[in-house]
Amino acid sequence: MGTRGRRGDGDTQTRTLKRLDQVFNWAHENSLWPMFFGLSCCFIEEAATLTARYDLARFGAEVMRGSPRQSDLLIVSGTVFKKMAPVVLRLYEQMADPKWVISMGSCSNSGGMYDVYSVVQGVDQIIPVDVYVPGCPPRPEALLQGIILLKQKIEARERPAAPVLGKPGGTQGTDGPILVDGLNKSRDTRGPGYEGVPKRGTSLTPPLFPGSRSDLMWVPPAPRIRLSDADRSLASALGEKFGDSVRQIPQTTDMPAFTVDAGSLREVLGYLKNESKPAYQRLDDLTAIDESARRRRHPECIEGPVCDREVGLSDFTMVYHLLSMDSAKRLRIKTGLRGDRPVAPTVTGIWPSADWYEREAYDMFGIRFDGHPDLRRILMPPDWEGHPLLKSHPYRATEMPPYTRLDAEVHRSLDASYLVEGAERKDTILLNYGPQHLGTHGVIRFVLALRGEQITDVGTDIGYHHRAAEKIGERQSWHQYIPYTDRVDYMNGVGNNLAYLGSVETLAGIKVPDRAKYIRVMLAEFFRINSHLIWVGTFLHDIGMMSLNFYAFREREQIMDIIEMITGGRLHPSWFRIGGVAADLPDGWKGAVEAFVSIFPARIREYEKLVNRNPIVKARTVGIGPLTAREAIDWGVTGPNLRATGVEWDLRKKIPYSAYDAFDFEIPVQSAGDCHARYLVRMEEMRQSLRIIEQAARDMPPGRHITDEYRYTLPDKNDTLKDIDSLIHHFINVTRGPKMPVGEAYSAAEVSRGEQGYYLVSDGMNMPYRLRIRGPDFANLQVLPRTAIGRSISDFQAVLGSMDYIMPDCDR
Amino acid sequence: MESLPQNAAQLMSPWNPGVFALAVYTGVVIVMIALLLYVTGRLGPRRQNPIKESPYESGMSPTGSARFLYPVPFYLVATFFLVFDVEAVYIFSWAVAFRGLGWVGWLQMSFFIIVLFLSLIYIWKKGGLDWGPEAGGGTGIRKPGL
Repeated sequence: MGTRGRRGDGDTQTRTLKRLDQVFNWAHENSLWPMFFGLSCCFIEEAATLTARYDLARFGAEVMRGSPRQSDLLIVSGTVFKKMAPVVLRLYEQMADPKWVISMGSCSNSGGMYDVYSVVQGVDQIIPVDVYVPGCPPRPEALLQGIILLKQKIEARERPAAPVLGKPGGTQGTDGPILVDGLNKSRDTRGPGYEGVPKRGTSLTPPLFPGSRSDLMWVPPAPRIRLSDADRSLASALGEKFGDSVRQIPQTTDMPAFTVDAGSLREVLGYLKNESKPAYQRLDDLTAIDESARRRRHPECIEGPVCDREVGLSDFTMVYHLLSMDSAKRLRIKTGLRGDRPVAPTVTGIWPSADWYEREAYDMFGIRFDGHPDLRRILMPPDWEGHPLLKSHPYRATEMPPYTRLDAEVHRSLDASYLVEGAERKDTILLNYGPQHLGTHGVIRFVLALRGEQITDVGTDIGYHHRAAEKIGERQSWHQYIPYTDRVDYMNGVGNNLAYLGSVETLAGIKVPDRAKYIRVMLAEFFRINSHLIWVGTFLHDIGMMSLNFYAFREREQIMDIIEMITGGRLHPSWFRIGGVAADLPDGWKGAVEAFVSIFPARIREYEKLVNRNPIVKARTVGIGPLTAREAIDWGVTGPNLRATGVEWDLRKKIPYSAYDAFDFEIPVQSAGDCHARYLVRMEEMRQSLRIIEQAARDMPPGRHITDEYRYTLPDKNDTLKDIDSLIHHFINVTRGPKMPVGEAYSAAEVSRGEQGYYLVSDGMNMPYRLRIRGPDFANLQVLPRTAIGRSISDFQAVLGSMDYIMPDCDR
Repeated sequence: MESLPQNAAQLMSPWNPGVFALAVYTGVVIVMIALLLYVTGRLGPRRQNPIKESPYESGMSPTGSARFLYPVPFYLVATFFLVFDVEAVYIFSWAVAFRGLGWVGWLQMSFFIIVLFLSLIYIWKKGGLDWGPEAGGGTGIRKPGL
């Protein structure tokens, strides 16, 4: 009582400031404005946090803001790519002060499982971070916990009154330091002091893997296909026409293959597309292999016998995968190239889709394409040094100098005027549409040349989501790579596992038990519905109908619950294994699946009631972004986007894999080829997927969930506890991983966005020699945005939304 | 059924605006805006750097100037909107004084509306309302080779 009067002025001032601190902190922590900003998978969980079940609004962070000017909370959700880091820094700088940063997910925290050349090992190297949310991806609850922690941090540690009143001292907003490798952080996950020690032992050091113990193991050779009469007649026709320049590769595991001399490559491919029987209309994939680290070239690495192989000692090999849609057959064409900076003929004149594929081969391998119209980098930043898929290029980010804030300040993407035509016209304005944009659904950058509202040209700049999935494949054992496949198309979960395992199991001739096949199909179809649900919500949101998002996420959460019950994961279960699945179905799975099957048809009808007769939806989609069947095939468009042009082509029916030939379902087809047709196809596909799930649950065969051939698989845990053989296989396959026979295999699966193919090249090691992913969106994105040329920005957005692309699948 | 009161508008909106209330309202608005601008300008933290000063364009640095020749169709549509919008004012004021003006007023206003309507049809036919992309146009796909 008596002390109050004796207190000095300073004390009163401190007390006032303290009161004010409380007031300001109360205001700050209860009105956080997160920016609508997402980098990759984590953002899907962040979006789920917004919806009814998790209800972010409870925490006073209600509406995500579209512009950094209106936001003061940056939730870095996903992988920070080196090409994207300057954008992240720019957005952070443009945000209103005071501002806070939550780093969401392992990638943003530390690079996570992506210790690879294109990924910054933690966003804290370029901007300060308040709260780290662990997880890959963190569940929505974890993000909510992160927001609660941020509120606590604001309340406990910030003193905003002094800076607000212009007095010295006090803090507000993020004040943590930016971390520098070696100074106040270590990028090495083992902690500091391990510099110079290879991460996983010398024998596991790419690209040569010296002294790898896989060389001591024996595996049976890769299975061989039997050539059909049609294959033989094709071979003789090619031999007649082109003589010695075309040679059939005698032993193949997956499809007939030919080696062609570079000189006659263009003629051979042109013949195969237009004249041969069957005609191979579509270029499924085009890629290259750097042959410099083949074990045959480095006998000092090998302790066992040296294997023969078909391609001699060329320095690079170009690989073309063709598809004949009439006869549902594939064909592989290989061409050897020599020299450090080899040159191959372009095939853009035969397939226009080769444009981007050849640019990618140039970007990744430095292979030049004679006659290519626009040969420049496509995935890597324009000022990148080296070609990442060369065996001599660094693998890990931690082998390279750390990425610093200065790097983020210095590096720039290409200026918009390089990406479109007509930039010099006085009445044309260039608009960057992305990489940070609500409508692009991922980090991709379009440049629109606009005359008024009308689009005169579209430029596409990809690579902001290049997670180097192919390079990572060259240093992960065949099993270890499965979690990476989940993240290739992060809406499609185990559907990606299925695509990858299709190739692995072809390569080694592994038989999968029926029960495992059915489980795989059932889960893959759940993920197809999951993906289509989020698509339908966001697509309609794009064209102005917000409500469906909330309905779609409601059903999506139900699917996630089933997935979690069966696999234990949500977005990325990584639950399939070579030869089967990780565990048998748990008790009670059938009830949950049947509950979903019984309610979902009514839910689809509910969506259709909202949408189908809606005149605005029709006005925004009918006739917009049209593509003809011929164009779609020429450009390699796959999936629902292809079926919307009237082509009845679905790998599940045409080249059935796993157990799909045992199921009764239809291929939905529409003929208009526009945005509306794409919508109709996907809605019907959800119904068909549901039919498959229903049949799979009804007819689920008994038996093993994983093959009992334990050479390549992780054995059933119960067996490992009982017999020594299984235990040894468990030990070998978990630690160094199974050895695969020498050979190569390509197989593709129909995922929700189209055909996702894996091309695996094995040098007889416990890791692929080359792993190539053919993502559907790389092809789709090359052509579809261009269908909006001549139309307005609003139509462009409708086209983007209707395509349903996903960036990690395009940039990989 | 009871007959409608003389002044239906009065009944439905019993608000008698006076100049004094309007003045007070204006004053409150001005003081409020001034206060908000002052407080935010005074208390808000200012951290200026070239990146923050530059326009936000999806995280990229913009190309070119925002001062450029904007195509005419935009102005046309804007002008049409303005013309028809202002003319609506006459129609509303006539509706308020509907009883007083009687049939003569009705005829005059009908004539006015018909003229407006005809001019709208004229503009429509002339293509003045065609907003956005030009008619026709293919898929716009450019083959490589540009």
